[in-house]
Amino acid sequence: MGSEILFFFEVLVGGLLAGTMYSLVALGFVLIYKASATFNFAQGAMVFFAVLSFVGFMELGLPFFLAFLVTIGLMVVVGLSTERLVLRPLMNQSEDTLLMATIGLGYVLEGLAQAAWGVEVRRLDLGIPDFPIMFIADSIGIFISALDLTAGAVAAFMVISLAVLFTQTKIGLGLRAVADDPGAASSIGIPLKHIMLLVWSAAGVVALVAGCLWGARAGVQFALVDLALKALPVLIIGGFSSIPGAIVGGLIIGSTEKVLEVYIGPFFGGAIEGWAPYVLAVFFLLKRPEGLFGEKIIRRV
Amino acid sequence: MSNQNSSENILEIKNIEVVYDDVILAISDVSLNVPDGSIVALLGGNGAGKSTTLKSVSTMLASERGKVTKGSITYNGQRVEKLNPSDMVNLGLVQVLEGRRCFGHLTVEENVISGAYTRKLSKSEINSELERMYNYFPRLKERRKSQAGFTSGGEQQMIAVARAMMAKPKMLLLDEPSMGLAPQLVEEIFVIVKELNDKEGVSILLAEQNTNIALRNSDYGYIIETGQVMLDGSAKSLLNDDKVKEFYLGISSEGRKNFRDVLKETKKIKG
Repeated sequence: MGSEILFFFEVLVGGLLAGTMYSLVALGFVLIYKASATFNFAQGAMVFFAVLSFVGFMELGLPFFLAFLVTIGLMVVVGLSTERLVLRPLMNQSEDTLLMATIGLGYVLEGLAQAAWGVEVRRLDLGIPDFPIMFIADSIGIFISALDLTAGAVAAFMVISLAVLFTQTKIGLGLRAVADDPGAASSIGIPLKHIMLLVWSAAGVVALVAGCLWGARAGVQFALVDLALKALPVLIIGGFSSIPGAIVGGLIIGSTEKVLEVYIGPFFGGAIEGWAPYVLAVFFLLKRPEGLFGEKIIRRV
Repeated sequence: MSNQNSSENILEIKNIEVVYDDVILAISDVSLNVPDGSIVALLGGNGAGKSTTLKSVSTMLASERGKVTKGSITYNGQRVEKLNPSDMVNLGLVQVLEGRRCFGHLTVEENVISGAYTRKLSKSEINSELERMYNYFPRLKERRKSQAGFTSGGEQQMIAVARAMMAKPKMLLLDEPSMGLAPQLVEEIFVIVKELNDKEGVSILLAEQNTNIALRNSDYGYIIETGQVMLDGSAKSLLNDDKVKEFYLGISSEGRKNFRDVLKETKKIKG
């Protein structure tokens, strides 16, 4: 194989694997969108909050695994308080009200996290090196980071478990029913508060996992909040309500941004991966607003 | 007027007053009884307070910032004031909301199954319950895999009733099942409702604007206007009542009339 083509594949694979990390963040958004039809602007803050707390617990001396469990517990508490203090009082208000509330919630979480754990950038060592795996590099000549590969595997695992939860379980049916029509769901006895608690806790756990992988690469810092907003173009392309959409969207964004950066970037003076995904998203908004896998807006006339 | 013995009533509403947002008076005085195993029709025009009455019973008022401020509601011997919709479903009372409210993105079958959410059933029990519902609604079986949002209005009404019945209710509150449906479909749905009442023994409180078909299919009727019960009686007596005939059925001694004619005549008499 020519080295040009090999290089292209390397860029592509690196992009795809980086894309799975976007997908992971996007999954958290999808969960909440599916159950409350709201874009949760606090998701980025939740990622930051989760991973900063995780690192904080480890600094306090908790072993890796225990710290992870404690953080999951903490995210459930965050879910519980969100349901109690934000969602329940806003029940039956318009979706816009809820959207604004999530922006506020985001600021609260960012503030709480930094008040509790401080503002300096932390290092997170998952024990997985962010270096190319020599075995693969030697045999096919492509350099793939072990961290990228792990992220891909973790994302795949999360997606499969969430897909099973949504389509194969009673809780999943309840979740989808609430997303479609909370009033009707409550008329047949589906307890809205349990569903909301579950969804927000699950989104918290997804945020923690995404935060760990991002934190291991970019450091645990405030910039994670903005990084998480990269999930926005992912969701626009994949569809806000679709779990497979979050994955495919992430892969598309990850690979195109890297390929564009390498091949077209130089003509624009580089650093186009910051905005190229948004251009792609605008294109999708014009041509296919529900995204690739999103639920078509059903309107009977 | 209504002389039913209280121990036989599955639902008793006594002089309730309902206020929305602490200021809007929706119901000023409604009392009604639903004897166990019967179909009772609650009739009246838009804004009369039919839906509000049903929602006070199913306790869904709270989610619309409404409150029962006076009177009492007793379902199956239990006061409902402190309960929530989920409790009511567990106690066997399910409301089919106005406008059907199917889960548009779920399939017809998933919609129906979702009705059994509060029951602890195994997969095979759910399937046998589902088959039982499909016997009442064969049309739904044909369309089981379609997305509910793309089915017809009549089918959606059937989905909503089947979904509610999956909770195995003792009592069903139906809010305007005839809304926006062709007359033939309305007939079809009322036939099934009657059948459910007969075979499953479910008591039904039915809010309707379509006075004629509602009374033909119920045992007892209440007519409410601006939040008050104006008239009640057995369905048969109401169907033959001159006032009801004239105002709600558009029939007078001179034959069929529409509401506008009735109004004109009343004006003439007054003027």
